[in-house]
Amino acid sequence: MVTAIQPRFEFRIFGNHLDEIINKIAEFSPKEMSREMHSIYLLAAGNPDHNIKIRDGVMDIKTLEQKKDGLEQWNPFLVGEFPLKAEVIKSVVFPALGTESPVLDREEYTLQHFIDELIAVDPDITIASVCKKRDAFTVGKCITEIAEVKVNGAMIKTICIEAEEPKKVLKAKKKLHINEDMENVNYPLALKRIMGLVELPEQWQAKEF
Amino acid sequence: MTKEKMTIGEVSKPRFEFRTFGRDFDEAAYLLSRLSVPVPAKVWERNSKETYIVSKTNDVNNTKIRDGKMDIKTFVQEVDGLEQWNPLMKGEFPIKASVLQKDVFPAFKVEGLPTLNKDEYTLEEFLEMIKNHPDLQAVTVEKERFGYMVNDTICEYANVWINGAMVVTVNSESTELEDIQKTVKDLGIEGAENINYLQAIKRIIGMVDKKLAN
Repeated sequence: MVTAIQPRFEFRIFGNHLDEIINKIAEFSPKEMSREMHSIYLLAAGNPDHNIKIRDGVMDIKTLEQKKDGLEQWNPFLVGEFPLKAEVIKSVVFPALGTESPVLDREEYTLQHFIDELIAVDPDITIASVCKKRDAFTVGKCITEIAEVKVNGAMIKTICIEAEEPKKVLKAKKKLHINEDMENVNYPLALKRIMGLVELPEQWQAKEF
Repeated sequence: MTKEKMTIGEVSKPRFEFRTFGRDFDEAAYLLSRLSVPVPAKVWERNSKETYIVSKTNDVNNTKIRDGKMDIKTFVQEVDGLEQWNPLMKGEFPIKASVLQKDVFPAFKVEGLPTLNKDEYTLEEFLEMIKNHPDLQAVTVEKERFGYMVNDTICEYANVWINGAMVVTVNSESTELEDIQKTVKDLGIEGAENINYLQAIKRIIGMVDKKLAN
Protein backbone atom coordinates (compact mmCIF):
# COMPACT_ATOMS: atom_id res chain seq x y z
CA MET A 1 0.00 0.00 0.00
CA VAL A 2 1.30 3.42 -0.88
CA THR A 3 0.66 6.13 1.66
CA ALA A 4 0.41 9.63 0.27
CA ILE A 5 2.60 12.24 1.94
CA GLN A 6 0.49 14.81 3.73
CA PRO A 7 2.11 18.20 3.06
CA ARG A 8 3.02 19.97 6.28
CA PHE A 9 2.25 23.50 7.35
CA GLU A 10 5.36 25.46 8.18
CA PHE A 11 6.38 28.54 10.09
CA ARG A 12 9.99 29.59 9.55
CA ILE A 13 12.03 32.58 10.61
CA PHE A 14 15.54 33.73 9.78
CA GLY A 15 17.79 35.99 11.81
CA ASN A 16 20.99 36.54 13.73
CA HIS A 17 19.58 37.03 17.20
CA LEU A 18 17.20 34.16 17.84
CA ASP A 19 18.57 33.16 21.25
CA GLU A 20 15.34 33.76 23.17
CA ILE A 21 13.41 31.35 20.98
CA ILE A 22 16.31 28.88 20.89
CA ASN A 23 16.41 28.83 24.70
CA LYS A 24 12.66 28.33 24.82
CA ILE A 25 12.92 25.34 22.46
CA ALA A 26 15.54 23.82 24.78
CA GLU A 27 13.05 24.12 27.68
CA PHE A 28 10.56 21.91 25.86
CA SER A 29 12.72 19.38 24.05
CA PRO A 30 16.11 17.72 24.05
CA LYS A 31 18.08 17.83 20.82
CA GLU A 32 17.00 14.67 19.02
CA MET A 33 19.25 14.70 15.99
CA SER A 34 21.93 16.74 14.23
CA ARG A 35 22.61 16.70 10.52
CA GLU A 36 24.91 18.59 8.21
CA MET A 37 24.14 18.89 4.54
CA HIS A 38 24.98 20.83 1.44
CA SER A 39 22.37 21.88 -1.10
CA ILE A 40 22.25 23.92 -4.26
CA TYR A 41 19.18 26.15 -4.55
CA LEU A 42 18.05 27.49 -7.91
CA LEU A 43 16.50 30.92 -7.63
CA ALA A 44 14.66 33.13 -10.06
CA ALA A 45 13.34 36.56 -9.14
CA GLY A 46 9.74 36.00 -10.15
CA ASN A 47 9.21 32.57 -8.72
CA PRO A 48 7.69 32.77 -5.22
CA ASP A 49 5.79 29.47 -5.21
CA HIS A 50 8.55 26.95 -5.85
CA ASN A 51 11.48 25.84 -3.78
CA ILE A 52 13.96 24.08 -6.05
CA LYS A 53 17.01 22.39 -4.63
CA ILE A 54 19.58 19.74 -5.41
CA ARG A 55 21.11 17.66 -2.66
CA ASP A 56 23.35 14.62 -3.09
CA GLY A 57 22.70 14.68 -6.83
CA VAL A 58 18.91 14.57 -6.40
CA MET A 59 16.55 17.41 -7.33
CA ASP A 60 13.36 18.10 -5.48
CA ILE A 61 10.81 20.84 -5.92
CA LYS A 62 8.44 22.00 -3.24
CA THR A 63 5.36 23.86 -4.34
CA LEU A 64 3.51 26.32 -2.14
CA GLU A 65 0.00 24.85 -1.85
CA GLN A 66 -1.61 27.42 0.39
CA LYS A 67 -1.14 30.05 3.08
CA LYS A 68 -3.30 29.79 6.17
CA ASP A 69 -3.17 31.69 9.45
CA GLY A 70 0.31 32.96 8.64
CA LEU A 71 1.57 29.45 7.86
CA GLU A 72 2.65 28.01 4.54
CA GLN A 73 1.89 24.53 3.25
CA TRP A 74 4.54 23.18 0.89
CA ASN A 75 4.10 20.04 -1.17
CA PRO A 76 7.32 18.17 -2.01
CA PHE A 77 7.84 16.59 -5.40
CA LEU A 78 10.85 14.43 -6.17
CA VAL A 79 12.07 15.34 -9.66
CA GLY A 80 14.75 12.66 -9.67
CA GLU A 81 18.42 11.89 -9.60
CA PHE A 82 20.95 13.24 -12.09
CA PRO A 83 21.44 12.56 -14.93
CA LEU A 84 18.00 14.01 -15.65
CA LYS A 85 16.16 13.51 -18.92
CA ALA A 86 15.93 16.62 -21.11
CA GLU A 87 12.17 16.17 -21.22
CA VAL A 88 11.95 16.38 -17.42
CA ILE A 89 14.12 19.49 -17.35
CA LYS A 90 11.97 21.12 -20.01
CA SER A 91 8.56 20.15 -18.68
CA VAL A 92 9.16 20.27 -14.92
CA VAL A 93 12.26 22.25 -13.93
CA PHE A 94 12.06 25.37 -16.10
CA PRO A 95 8.31 25.84 -15.62
CA ALA A 96 8.93 25.68 -11.85
CA LEU A 97 11.68 28.28 -12.21
CA GLY A 98 9.27 30.46 -14.15
CA THR A 99 11.77 31.02 -16.93
CA GLU A 100 11.77 29.85 -20.51
CA SER A 101 13.56 26.59 -21.21
CA PRO A 102 16.54 26.91 -23.53
CA VAL A 103 17.02 24.53 -26.44
CA LEU A 104 18.23 21.28 -24.91
CA ASP A 105 20.92 19.64 -27.05
CA ARG A 106 21.41 16.56 -24.91
CA GLU A 107 19.03 13.68 -24.24
CA GLU A 108 19.98 13.76 -20.61
CA TYR A 109 22.03 16.05 -18.37
CA THR A 110 24.49 15.25 -15.62
CA LEU A 111 24.45 17.71 -12.71
CA GLN A 112 27.60 19.35 -14.08
CA HIS A 113 26.11 19.70 -17.57
CA PHE A 114 22.86 21.00 -16.12
CA ILE A 115 24.62 23.68 -14.05
CA ASP A 116 27.24 24.68 -16.62
CA GLU A 117 25.15 24.62 -19.78
CA LEU A 118 21.64 25.52 -18.63
CA ILE A 119 21.76 27.34 -15.30
CA ALA A 120 25.02 29.31 -15.01
CA VAL A 121 24.47 30.87 -18.44
CA ASP A 122 20.89 31.97 -17.74
CA PRO A 123 20.85 35.59 -16.52
CA ASP A 124 17.47 35.05 -14.85
CA ILE A 125 18.61 32.18 -12.62
CA THR A 126 20.91 32.45 -9.62
CA ILE A 127 22.56 29.60 -7.76
CA ALA A 128 22.90 29.58 -3.98
CA SER A 129 25.30 27.20 -2.34
CA VAL A 130 23.79 26.42 1.06
CA CYS A 131 25.40 24.48 3.90
CA LYS A 132 23.11 23.65 6.79
CA LYS A 133 23.79 22.38 10.30
CA ARG A 134 20.35 21.28 11.41
CA ASP A 135 19.35 20.35 14.95
CA ALA A 136 15.98 18.63 15.41
CA PHE A 137 13.59 19.05 18.36
CA THR A 138 9.92 18.41 19.07
CA VAL A 139 7.75 21.18 20.50
CA GLY A 140 4.02 20.61 20.96
CA LYS A 141 4.15 17.53 18.71
CA CYS A 142 5.62 19.65 15.93
CA ILE A 143 8.87 18.96 14.12
CA THR A 144 11.03 21.87 15.23
CA GLU A 145 14.39 22.77 13.83
CA ILE A 146 17.18 25.16 14.66
CA ALA A 147 19.74 25.49 11.90
CA GLU A 148 22.87 27.42 11.13
CA VAL A 149 22.84 28.17 7.45
CA LYS A 150 25.79 29.29 5.37
CA VAL A 151 24.62 30.98 2.18
CA ASN A 152 27.56 31.22 -0.22
CA GLY A 153 29.72 31.32 2.91
CA ALA A 154 27.76 33.91 4.93
CA MET A 155 25.87 32.74 7.99
CA ILE A 156 22.35 33.23 9.25
CA LYS A 157 20.18 31.19 11.60
CA THR A 158 16.75 29.76 11.00
CA ILE A 159 14.07 28.21 13.19
CA CYS A 160 11.22 26.18 11.76
CA ILE A 161 8.09 24.63 13.26
CA GLU A 162 6.09 22.27 11.10
CA ALA A 163 3.20 19.84 11.35
CA GLU A 164 0.42 18.46 9.20
CA GLU A 165 -2.17 20.26 11.31
CA PRO A 166 -1.85 24.05 11.33
CA LYS A 167 -3.37 24.29 14.82
CA LYS A 168 -0.40 22.42 16.26
CA VAL A 169 2.06 24.85 14.66
CA LEU A 170 0.13 27.85 15.95
CA LYS A 171 0.10 26.34 19.44
CA ALA A 172 3.84 25.64 19.33
CA LYS A 173 4.45 29.23 18.20
CA LYS A 174 2.63 30.45 21.30
CA LYS A 175 4.60 28.10 23.54
CA LEU A 176 7.81 29.55 22.15
CA HIS A 177 6.56 33.13 22.61
CA ILE A 178 6.88 33.88 18.91
CA ASN A 179 5.10 37.17 18.24
CA GLU A 180 2.10 37.27 15.98
CA ASP A 181 3.80 39.91 13.85
CA MET A 182 6.96 37.89 13.24
CA GLU A 183 7.28 37.28 9.51
CA ASN A 184 7.07 33.74 8.11
CA VAL A 185 10.01 33.55 5.69
CA ASN A 186 10.57 30.46 3.56
CA TYR A 187 13.98 29.36 2.28
CA PRO A 188 13.73 30.74 -1.28
CA LEU A 189 12.62 34.13 0.02
CA ALA A 190 15.44 34.28 2.59
CA LEU A 191 18.01 33.32 -0.03
CA LYS A 192 16.65 35.86 -2.49
CA ARG A 193 16.92 38.57 0.15
CA ILE A 194 20.52 37.70 1.00
CA MET A 195 21.43 37.54 -2.67
CA GLY A 196 19.66 40.77 -3.49
CA LEU A 197 17.12 39.27 -5.89
CA VAL A 198 14.24 40.89 -4.01
CA GLU A 199 14.07 44.04 -1.96
CA LEU A 200 15.44 43.83 1.58
CA PRO A 201 12.71 44.69 4.10
CA GLU A 202 13.52 47.20 6.84
CA GLN A 203 13.95 44.60 9.57
CA TRP A 204 16.63 42.75 7.57
CA GLN A 205 18.66 45.92 7.27
CA ALA A 206 19.76 45.69 10.87
CA LYS A 207 22.17 43.08 12.11
CA GLU A 208 20.13 42.78 15.31
CA PHE A 209 17.17 41.04 13.69
CA MET B 1 64.31 55.65 2.14
CA THR B 2 62.69 55.92 5.53
CA LYS B 3 59.51 54.06 6.29
CA GLU B 4 56.36 56.08 6.74
CA LYS B 5 55.05 55.76 10.27
CA MET B 6 51.47 54.46 10.05
CA THR B 7 48.94 56.29 12.18
CA ILE B 8 45.39 55.06 12.56
CA GLY B 9 42.82 57.55 11.31
CA GLU B 10 45.32 59.78 9.51
CA VAL B 11 45.91 60.23 5.80
CA SER B 12 49.00 58.46 4.44
CA LYS B 13 50.44 57.60 1.05
CA PRO B 14 48.22 55.06 -0.77
CA ARG B 15 48.34 51.85 1.24
CA PHE B 16 48.62 48.26 0.20
CA GLU B 17 46.16 45.89 1.74
CA PHE B 18 45.68 42.26 2.58
CA ARG B 19 42.11 41.36 3.44
CA THR B 20 40.36 38.05 3.63
CA PHE B 21 36.81 36.94 4.31
CA GLY B 22 35.40 33.75 5.80
CA ARG B 23 33.66 32.37 8.85
CA ASP B 24 36.48 31.21 11.07
CA PHE B 25 39.23 33.62 12.05
CA ASP B 26 39.08 33.14 15.82
CA GLU B 27 42.80 32.39 16.04
CA ALA B 28 43.66 35.52 14.03
CA ALA B 29 41.35 37.56 16.26
CA TYR B 30 43.13 36.26 19.36
CA LEU B 31 46.55 37.00 17.86
CA LEU B 32 45.47 40.50 16.86
CA SER B 33 44.47 41.21 20.44
CA ARG B 34 47.80 39.91 21.79
CA LEU B 35 50.16 41.37 19.19
CA SER B 36 48.63 44.81 18.82
CA VAL B 37 50.13 47.91 20.36
CA PRO B 38 47.58 50.11 22.15
CA VAL B 39 45.39 51.95 19.65
CA PRO B 40 43.25 55.09 20.08
CA ALA B 41 39.94 54.41 21.82
CA LYS B 42 38.03 55.77 18.81
CA VAL B 43 39.06 52.71 16.75
CA TRP B 44 38.47 50.05 19.40
CA GLU B 45 35.03 49.40 18.04
CA ARG B 46 33.27 51.11 15.15
CA ASN B 47 29.84 50.34 13.74
CA SER B 48 28.57 51.41 10.37
CA LYS B 49 25.91 50.69 7.82
CA GLU B 50 26.73 51.12 4.17
CA THR B 51 25.30 50.44 0.75
CA TYR B 52 27.71 48.99 -1.80
CA ILE B 53 26.88 49.22 -5.47
CA VAL B 54 28.16 46.16 -7.28
CA SER B 55 28.32 45.73 -10.99
CA LYS B 56 28.48 42.46 -12.92
CA THR B 57 31.03 43.99 -15.29
CA ASN B 58 33.37 45.79 -12.90
CA ASP B 59 35.98 44.53 -10.44
CA VAL B 60 38.21 47.60 -10.28
CA ASN B 61 36.03 50.32 -8.82
CA ASN B 62 34.56 49.95 -5.36
CA THR B 63 31.52 52.16 -4.72
CA LYS B 64 29.95 52.58 -1.32
CA ILE B 65 27.50 54.99 0.26
CA ARG B 66 27.55 55.81 3.96
CA ASP B 67 25.51 58.51 5.69
CA GLY B 68 24.42 59.94 2.35
CA LYS B 69 27.99 60.23 1.05
CA MET B 70 29.36 58.31 -1.89
CA ASP B 71 32.93 57.12 -2.02
CA ILE B 72 34.52 55.33 -4.99
CA LYS B 73 37.93 53.68 -4.73
CA THR B 74 39.78 52.38 -7.71
CA PHE B 75 42.20 49.46 -7.96
CA VAL B 76 45.70 50.67 -8.76
CA GLN B 77 47.96 47.65 -8.68
CA GLU B 78 48.73 44.30 -7.11
CA VAL B 79 52.23 43.68 -5.81
CA ASP B 80 53.23 40.37 -4.24
CA GLY B 81 49.57 39.45 -3.72
CA LEU B 82 48.74 42.73 -1.97
CA GLU B 83 46.30 45.23 -3.44
CA GLN B 84 46.57 48.99 -3.65
CA TRP B 85 43.38 51.04 -3.99
CA ASN B 86 43.17 54.83 -4.38
CA PRO B 87 40.25 57.20 -3.87
CA LEU B 88 38.61 57.96 -7.22
CA MET B 89 35.80 60.29 -6.23
CA LYS B 90 33.77 61.46 -3.27
CA GLY B 91 30.29 62.93 -3.53
CA GLU B 92 27.25 63.70 -1.47
CA PHE B 93 23.53 63.28 -2.07
CA PRO B 94 21.70 65.00 -3.60
CA ILE B 95 24.24 64.48 -6.35
CA LYS B 96 24.57 66.40 -9.61
CA ALA B 97 23.48 64.60 -12.78
CA SER B 98 26.78 65.67 -14.37
CA VAL B 99 28.71 63.82 -11.63
CA LEU B 100 26.60 60.70 -12.13
CA GLN B 101 27.19 60.84 -15.85
CA LYS B 102 30.91 61.64 -15.83
CA ASP B 103 32.19 59.88 -12.72
CA VAL B 104 29.74 57.47 -11.11
CA PHE B 105 28.14 55.44 -13.89
CA PRO B 106 31.40 55.11 -15.87
CA ALA B 107 32.93 53.57 -12.73
CA PHE B 108 30.35 50.74 -12.92
CA LYS B 109 31.52 49.91 -16.45
CA VAL B 110 28.04 48.93 -17.61
CA GLU B 111 26.13 49.55 -20.79
CA GLY B 112 22.69 51.11 -20.95
CA LEU B 113 23.09 54.13 -18.71
CA PRO B 114 19.83 55.63 -17.47
CA THR B 115 18.63 58.86 -19.02
CA LEU B 116 19.22 61.72 -16.62
CA ASN B 117 16.49 64.35 -16.96
CA LYS B 118 17.04 66.19 -13.70
CA ASP B 119 19.83 68.47 -12.49
CA GLU B 120 20.43 66.44 -9.35
CA TYR B 121 19.32 63.20 -7.74
CA THR B 122 18.52 62.13 -4.19
CA LEU B 123 19.92 58.89 -2.78
CA GLU B 124 16.51 57.24 -3.16
CA GLU B 125 16.32 58.25 -6.82
CA PHE B 126 19.85 56.99 -7.41
CA LEU B 127 19.05 53.63 -5.76
CA GLU B 128 15.94 53.33 -7.94
CA MET B 129 18.17 53.69 -11.04
CA ILE B 130 20.44 50.96 -9.66
CA LYS B 131 17.45 48.69 -9.00
CA ASN B 132 16.25 49.10 -12.57
CA HIS B 133 19.60 48.25 -14.15
CA PRO B 134 20.05 44.52 -14.85
CA ASP B 135 23.82 44.56 -14.21
CA LEU B 136 23.85 46.62 -11.01
CA GLN B 137 22.86 45.74 -7.49
CA ALA B 138 22.73 47.67 -4.21
CA VAL B 139 23.86 45.59 -1.24
CA THR B 140 23.34 46.44 2.42
CA VAL B 141 26.54 45.97 4.42
CA GLU B 142 26.72 46.43 8.17
CA LYS B 143 30.06 46.36 9.91
CA GLU B 144 31.22 45.89 13.47
CA ARG B 145 34.93 46.72 13.24
CA PHE B 146 37.64 46.25 15.86
CA GLY B 147 40.87 48.15 15.24
CA TYR B 148 44.43 47.03 15.99
CA MET B 149 48.00 47.91 15.05
CA VAL B 150 50.44 45.07 14.45
CA ASN B 151 53.95 45.39 13.01
CA ASP B 152 53.18 49.04 12.28
CA THR B 153 50.29 48.02 10.01
CA ILE B 154 46.70 49.10 10.54
CA CYS B 155 44.67 45.97 11.21
CA GLU B 156 41.06 45.15 11.70
CA TYR B 157 38.90 42.22 12.62
CA ALA B 158 35.26 42.77 11.68
CA ASN B 159 31.91 41.08 11.72
CA VAL B 160 30.14 41.99 8.51
CA TRP B 161 26.48 41.42 7.67
CA ILE B 162 25.84 41.32 3.94
CA ASN B 163 22.12 41.62 3.28
CA GLY B 164 21.67 40.18 6.78
CA ALA B 165 24.03 37.18 6.56
CA MET B 166 27.26 37.31 8.53
CA VAL B 167 30.89 36.82 7.58
CA VAL B 168 34.13 37.75 9.25
CA THR B 169 36.99 39.73 7.75
CA VAL B 170 40.59 40.32 8.83
CA ASN B 171 42.89 42.86 7.23
CA SER B 172 46.29 44.48 7.44
CA GLU B 173 47.19 47.63 5.56
CA SER B 174 50.26 49.77 5.26
CA THR B 175 52.44 51.62 2.79
CA GLU B 176 55.10 48.97 3.47
CA LEU B 177 54.65 45.58 1.76
CA GLU B 178 57.04 43.72 4.08
CA ASP B 179 55.18 44.85 7.20
CA ILE B 180 51.88 43.52 5.81
CA GLN B 181 53.46 40.21 4.80
CA LYS B 182 54.97 39.76 8.26
CA THR B 183 51.60 40.57 9.84
CA VAL B 184 49.75 38.08 7.64
CA LYS B 185 52.26 35.45 8.73
CA ASP B 186 52.09 36.43 12.40
CA LEU B 187 48.27 36.23 12.34
CA GLY B 188 48.36 32.69 10.92
CA ILE B 189 46.43 33.60 7.77
CA GLU B 190 49.29 33.16 5.32
CA GLY B 191 47.46 30.67 3.11
CA ALA B 192 44.21 32.62 3.00
CA GLU B 193 43.20 34.27 -0.26
CA ASN B 194 43.36 38.06 -0.46
CA ILE B 195 39.68 38.93 -0.96
CA ASN B 196 38.58 42.56 -1.12
CA TYR B 197 35.10 43.80 -0.15
CA LEU B 198 33.87 43.92 -3.72
CA GLN B 199 34.84 40.31 -4.34
CA ALA B 200 33.42 39.07 -1.04
CA ILE B 201 30.07 40.74 -1.68
CA LYS B 202 29.92 39.40 -5.22
CA ARG B 203 30.63 35.87 -4.00
CA ILE B 204 27.96 36.03 -1.31
CA ILE B 205 25.24 37.41 -3.56
CA GLY B 206 26.09 34.81 -6.20
CA MET B 207 27.47 37.21 -8.81
CA VAL B 208 30.79 35.35 -8.73
CA ASP B 209 30.98 31.58 -8.28
CA LYS B 210 33.89 31.35 -5.84
CA LYS B 211 34.18 30.45 -2.18
CA LEU B 212 35.37 32.63 0.66
CA ALA B 213 38.62 31.75 2.44
CA ASN B 214 36.97 29.36 4.91
